[in-house]
Amino acid sequence: MHEYPLENRFAFPSNDAAGAGASINLAPIRDGFVFHVLGDANSNEVDLKQALVKIAPELGTDLRSPSPNQWFWVGGADVSDSRLAEIQAEIPEQFVLADQTHGRLRMVLFGASSRSVLAKGTMVDLSPEMFAIGQSTMTQIGHIGAMITRTADDSFELIVLRSFASTLWDELQHMAAEFRHP
Amino acid sequence: MSSLVKCPHCGLRPREEFTIRGEVAAPRPSAGADEATWFDHVYLRDNPRGEHREYWHHAGGCRRWLVLSRNTLTHETSDVVDASTLKTEGAR
Repeated sequence: MHEYPLENRFAFPSNDAAGAGASINLAPIRDGFVFHVLGDANSNEVDLKQALVKIAPELGTDLRSPSPNQWFWVGGADVSDSRLAEIQAEIPEQFVLADQTHGRLRMVLFGASSRSVLAKGTMVDLSPEMFAIGQSTMTQIGHIGAMITRTADDSFELIVLRSFASTLWDELQHMAAEFRHP
Repeated sequence: MSSLVKCPHCGLRPREEFTIRGEVAAPRPSAGADEATWFDHVYLRDNPRGEHREYWHHAGGCRRWLVLSRNTLTHETSDVVDASTLKTEGAR
């Protein structure tokens, strides 16, 4: 079993004074899968979605594209090795699927100040008109490459390479420190 | 200096996300071309004033090679395209 990089990381203490409206929170997403799908030059997301619905309806079709003809397929369920092999065997020829579940970590930054915290690290325009819910983009947070996905008005999911996860976690803690007061 | 580049895949991004390779070289000389021609192709670079075509790699984003025009006087960038379109563009 792989050691989970964020196992012993200090999470934001629960801030009772701030209540549910605590302005910033950071949490790892431990469960689920991250599959990297590579398509050929003529592949597209619609075809991929159709194929995935047919092959693995139980896993959903949360696709996030870091680059043309590439996607991260993300979900909350745990996928066994044998199930993964089945999916890899059934996926249409124009796609290749690689397991990145242990290679890339997910974390979620949420709360009223989440946009301000992220804006300290990335130059992507996070205003809702430019970056709507469900949209994702590959960028850098400081010097660390990360994929940002907006999951709600004030909630962002980050996908980062495993070896950078703890550094990014610590940096986000620093960036969020000023918003930790009720 | 204008430091934002409009990546055709990712949109407006800061220059820090890119690695710059350099000018888009002229077509390779033929294998039998004389030494001076090859020396020119491999080592000598123009230092133009004005528009200049360069390879940029969007290392911090989509990780695609791009070709863009950069004005060496104003550092304005324009005409950013994916490098794969060069193949269809022809000999250049």
